[in-house]
Amino acid sequence: VHLHMFYLLSAAPEFPILERRNWLIHLHYIRKDYETCKAIIKEQLHETQGMCEYAVYVQALIMRLEGKIQQSLELFQSCAILNPKSSDNLKQVARSLFLLGKHKAAIEVYNEAARLNQKDWEISHNLGVCYIYTKDFKSADEQLNLALQLNKHDLTYSMLGKIHLLQGDTEKAIDVYKSAVEFSPENTELLTTLGLLYMQLGKYQKAFEHLGNALTYDPNNFKAILAAGSMMQTHGDYDVAMNKYRVAAYSVPESPPLWNNIGMCFFGKKKYVAAISCLKRANYLSPFDWKILYNLGLVHLTMQQYASAFHFLSAAINLRPRMSQLYMLLAVALTNLDDADNARRSHEQAVQLDESDPLVNLNFAVFLYNQGDKKAALLQFQEMERKVNTQVENNSSTEFDPEMVEMAQKLAGALQAAAGYSKSMQMSTEPEADVSRAPSPPTVPPGDPEEEEEETAKLTEKKSKPKAVAE
Amino acid sequence: MSSVSQELKDTSVASSKWLDAHYDPVANLYTFSSCIALSDLHGDGENKLVVGDLGTGVCNMKLKVYRGIGLLSESTLLDLPTGLVSFLMDLHEPRTPAIAVASGPFIYVYKNLRPYFKFTLPSLEVNPLEQDVWSQAKEDMIDPMTLKEMLEGLRDKAEIPLSVRSLRFLMLEPQEMENFVLLNKEQPIRRQTVITCIGTLKKNMADEDAVSCLVIGTENGDVYILDPEAFTILYKMSLPSTPTLMDVTGQFDVEFRITVACRNGNIYILRRDSLKPKYCIELSSHPVGLVRMGKNVVVGCTHETLHGYTQKGKKLWTTYLPAPVTTMALMDLPTRGFQAVLVGLANCEVHMYRDKNLIGTIKTPDVVTSICFGRYGREDGTLIMTTKGGGLIVKILKRTAVFDDRDSAPGPPIAQSIRLNVPKKTKLYVDQTLRERENAVAMHRAFQMDLSRLRLAAARAYVKALESSLTPMSASLTEPLKMNAVVQGLGPSFKLTLNIQNTAASRPVMNLAISFLYDENLYSMRTAFFKIPLLVPGLNYPIDTFVECLSDKGISDIIKVFVLREGKSAPLLTAHINMPQQLGFSTEPPKTESFSITGVQRSLRWP
Repeated sequence: VHLHMFYLLSAAPEFPILERRNWLIHLHYIRKDYETCKAIIKEQLHETQGMCEYAVYVQALIMRLEGKIQQSLELFQSCAILNPKSSDNLKQVARSLFLLGKHKAAIEVYNEAARLNQKDWEISHNLGVCYIYTKDFKSADEQLNLALQLNKHDLTYSMLGKIHLLQGDTEKAIDVYKSAVEFSPENTELLTTLGLLYMQLGKYQKAFEHLGNALTYDPNNFKAILAAGSMMQTHGDYDVAMNKYRVAAYSVPESPPLWNNIGMCFFGKKKYVAAISCLKRANYLSPFDWKILYNLGLVHLTMQQYASAFHFLSAAINLRPRMSQLYMLLAVALTNLDDADNARRSHEQAVQLDESDPLVNLNFAVFLYNQGDKKAALLQFQEMERKVNTQVENNSSTEFDPEMVEMAQKLAGALQAAAGYSKSMQMSTEPEADVSRAPSPPTVPPGDPEEEEEETAKLTEKKSKPKAVAE
Repeated sequence: MSSVSQELKDTSVASSKWLDAHYDPVANLYTFSSCIALSDLHGDGENKLVVGDLGTGVCNMKLKVYRGIGLLSESTLLDLPTGLVSFLMDLHEPRTPAIAVASGPFIYVYKNLRPYFKFTLPSLEVNPLEQDVWSQAKEDMIDPMTLKEMLEGLRDKAEIPLSVRSLRFLMLEPQEMENFVLLNKEQPIRRQTVITCIGTLKKNMADEDAVSCLVIGTENGDVYILDPEAFTILYKMSLPSTPTLMDVTGQFDVEFRITVACRNGNIYILRRDSLKPKYCIELSSHPVGLVRMGKNVVVGCTHETLHGYTQKGKKLWTTYLPAPVTTMALMDLPTRGFQAVLVGLANCEVHMYRDKNLIGTIKTPDVVTSICFGRYGREDGTLIMTTKGGGLIVKILKRTAVFDDRDSAPGPPIAQSIRLNVPKKTKLYVDQTLRERENAVAMHRAFQMDLSRLRLAAARAYVKALESSLTPMSASLTEPLKMNAVVQGLGPSFKLTLNIQNTAASRPVMNLAISFLYDENLYSMRTAFFKIPLLVPGLNYPIDTFVECLSDKGISDIIKVFVLREGKSAPLLTAHINMPQQLGFSTEPPKTESFSITGVQRSLRWP
C-alpha cells in the first residue's frame, strides 16, 4: 500500500458538493438495481439534508415504479420547489398526475413545462395522450403531430393512430401507421396493427404483407399469427395456418379465438371430430362467444347432428339476436329436424334481418321449393339475384362460392321448368338429383342447405379473425 | 426437434470459443466498465488490469492492480472513482502509460502507480448578486432574515444556481442562522461541480502509443479537453444535460468527434469546430451502454433494446434483448480485423452482437456489471468481467475461434414443432354421435316436449305462488313491504320474530295487521292477531310472538303469516314458516329457520 500524498493536497470543501454521487445514483437506476439505488439515495439525502435534487428525483421515479404514485407526486413537487427552472421536474409532476387519472391537472402542468422548454417532443406527446383521455381529440391530434415534428417516435405514431381509430377514421389511421412503419420498419406492433386495419378494410393482400413482415421479425407475435392464420384459412392453406397456430398455442394456450380458428382449420381439413373438440374447448374458455357457438352449430350441421346443432345455434341467437346467418343455419337445422313451421319462421326472420347476403335468400328459396311453394321460392330467388347484382356492381371482382353458383343454377332450372311448363316438379330433399341442366343467367348464384354450410364456414372464419384481433 | 438440437449445438460451440482462465467469485470488486482499464503500467510488454474499486460505496475505495490472476497492488482512493483511463501523457522513455482516476471534482494522475498530479475542475461562476448579498451580510449590513429573503428571491429567479452554502442556509431554522452566517461569512463563496465521465483523445497522431488528452464530462453539462502534460484546459464545450457515457474518436489537432450519452436520455455528438452539439439522437429510454463500432454507434437502452445509429444520428437498426442491459463494451481484435459489441444482460448472459446479429452468447455465473476486452498479460483476446456479487471472471478467446457472421434471423420457432394438444374423444362420444344422427328428430322432439312441460310446470307453480301472495311481486306497488321471519328456540316453546320493513322511498304505511293461520291441534299462540304500528320507511320493525308446541310426537307443521290491511280481506303479504321439530332432549343442535319475502299490495281475492 502506497503512502498517499493526496491526503496532504486535498483541502476538503467546506460543504460536500450536493451532486457528487448523482452519477452513481443514475448508474444504478438505469441498470434497474433499485435496492442499491435507494440505499445510495438515502445516504445522499442524509448527507445533504434532503437538498440533493437529483436524489429526490430518482427516489420519486423509483417510487412511481413501485406503484406509490401519490408519494412520487409529492417528491416531484418538492423537486420542482428545489429547482423551479427545470422542465423535467414539471414533466414528472404531470406524469404522476396523469397516472393518478387527474388528466386536466396534468395538462396544466405540462403546459407550464412547455413554457420552460418549447421543443420537447415528450411534453407534446404526453399532452396529446392527456387530451385523448379528456376526449379532446382535436387538441390531442394537434399535440401529437407537433411531437412528430419535433422528433419521431413509434409511440407517438401509435397514439395518433389510436385517436383516428377512436374517431372511427380507419383510412386516416392507416395513413399514420403507414408512415410509422416507414420510419420504423421492424416494429412488429405497428406492422401488426397496420395489417389488421387493412384486413378490416378488406385489403387482404396488403394486410397479409404487413402481417407477414411482422412475423418475420417476431415469429411469436400472437396477434399477427392469429390474423395471418385466419387469412391463410380463408385461402384454404390449412396446414400452413396450423403451423402458425402451434406457435401461438404454445405461448397462449388458453385463447378462445385461437382454439376457434384451430377448430375451423380441422373443419376445413374435414377432420370433424377434432374440429368439434377444439371448438368445444374454445366454447369452454369463452362460453358467451357467439362466433364459437356459430361454428359449433355449423360443424354439427355438417356432422348431421341436427339436434346438437339446434342447441348451439339457438344459444348463439340468444347472445346475438340480430344476425341473419344464424337464423338461416337454425332454419337448416330445423328443416332437418322435420319442423317445417319453425324452419319457415326462422328463414323469414333471416331474410328480414339480412341486407346483402344472397345465401340467405337462396336457402329460403330452396326450402320453399322443397315445400312446394314455388311462387314464394321464385320471389326469394329474384331477391337473391338482386343482391348478387348489387355486389357485382359495387365490386366487379367479387367471387362467389362455386358450389353456391351451381346450386343456384340448378334451382333456377327447376323453377323455370316449374313456371314455364306449369308442371309441378317435386324437388326432393336433395335437389341436385332432380334439377335438370336448364340454361340460366350466368351471374346467378344460389345454393342449397347442404352447400351453404361450406360457404358459411368461410364466413365464420372471416368473422373469427377480427375477433382474435380484439383480444 | 431439429431446431432444439440446433440451438444446443450453437451454445456448445459458443462456449467452446472461450477458455476459462480465471474465476474468483469473492474478488470483492464493486466497479463499472468505466472504472476498468488494461494497461502496460511498467512498460514491460505485459498488460495489467487496473480497477477503480468503489469499496462499500461509502468507504474503502481502492485502486487495484492485477497481474495474471493475482492482485499486484492496491492503494486507497479518497473518494468514489467515477472513471478510470490509462493514457500516455508524454514522449519520455520508457513509454509507460499513466492512470487517471476521476473522482468528485478531481482527477488523480498516477505514474508508475505513484500519485503524480491532481487536477481540480475550475470553480463554477458564482451569481454576482449572491456574492453581493453575502458581502453585505459580512459587513453586518443586513440581518439573517433579510439575507434569507434575498437569497430565496435569487433562487427562484436567477439563471445561475445558488451555491451550496446559500442553499444550506435556506434550510436552517431561524435561530441557527446567526451562527451560520458568523461561521461562514469570511469564506469565499464557491460553486464546485463533479466529473461524471472521462475518456481519452489522441493529441496529434493516430498511433496506438501516441500522446493522449483527457476528455472529461461534468455534472453541470460541460465537456473539457485537457492538455496531457500541463493539464490546462484546451477546449470547453457545453451540453444541455449531464453526460453519463462518452466515446471519443479522432485527434485533437486534426478532427475529433465526441459521442456523449446524457442523463436526459439523449445522445449528443460533438465535433471539433462547434461548441454546441452537432447532432442529437433522442432515445425513447435511457442509454445504459454506448459503444462505437467503426463509424456507427451502438446504444443499449433500459427498454431492453439495442440500437444502431450512424455518426450523424440516423437510426440504422433495433434489436430486442431478452433482459435488461447492465453494461456494454467493445470487443476489438485488430489482428483479426474483428469487432463486436459485448452486451452484459441481467439474465446472467453476455451477448456478442455484430450489427444486429447475435453471434455468440456467454453464460456467466452471476450478473455482469463491467466488461473489458483487450490485451491482458501477453494474451490479445482476453475478456475481463466483474459481477454484481463482486466476482472477477477472466476468459481468453481461443485462437481457433471463428465467428461466422450469419444472419441471426431465426428459423421457425421451436414451438412450431410441438404437437397441438387436441382433446381426444372417446368411443362413447362417437357412439352417441351416431345415435344422434339416426334419431335426431326424435331426440329433438323429446327435448322440446320436456322443455315445454318444464315451462308449464314452472308457470303453474308461479301462478300458484302469485295467487297465494307468496312471492315478491312488482305489480301495483303502493305499499311495498319486506318481511323476514325468524324462529328461535328448542321447543316446545318457540319465539317467532317477524321483521317488517317498509321499503317505500318516503311514504309511511299505516293500518296494517298481522294474522296467523296454524293447526290448532299442534300449536298454540298467545296472540294470533295483532296490529302493526305505523311503518316509517326504511326502518326495521321486529315483532315478537310466542308459539307453544302442543304435540310431543316430534311432528312439525307450517305456520302461515298474513300481513293484512284494515278493512280488506286480501293479504298484502303471505309467508309460510316451516316450524322446526321439537327437539326435546336430543343432542341435535337447535335449528333456526329464516327467510325473507318482499311483497306489495295486490288485489287478489282471498283464496
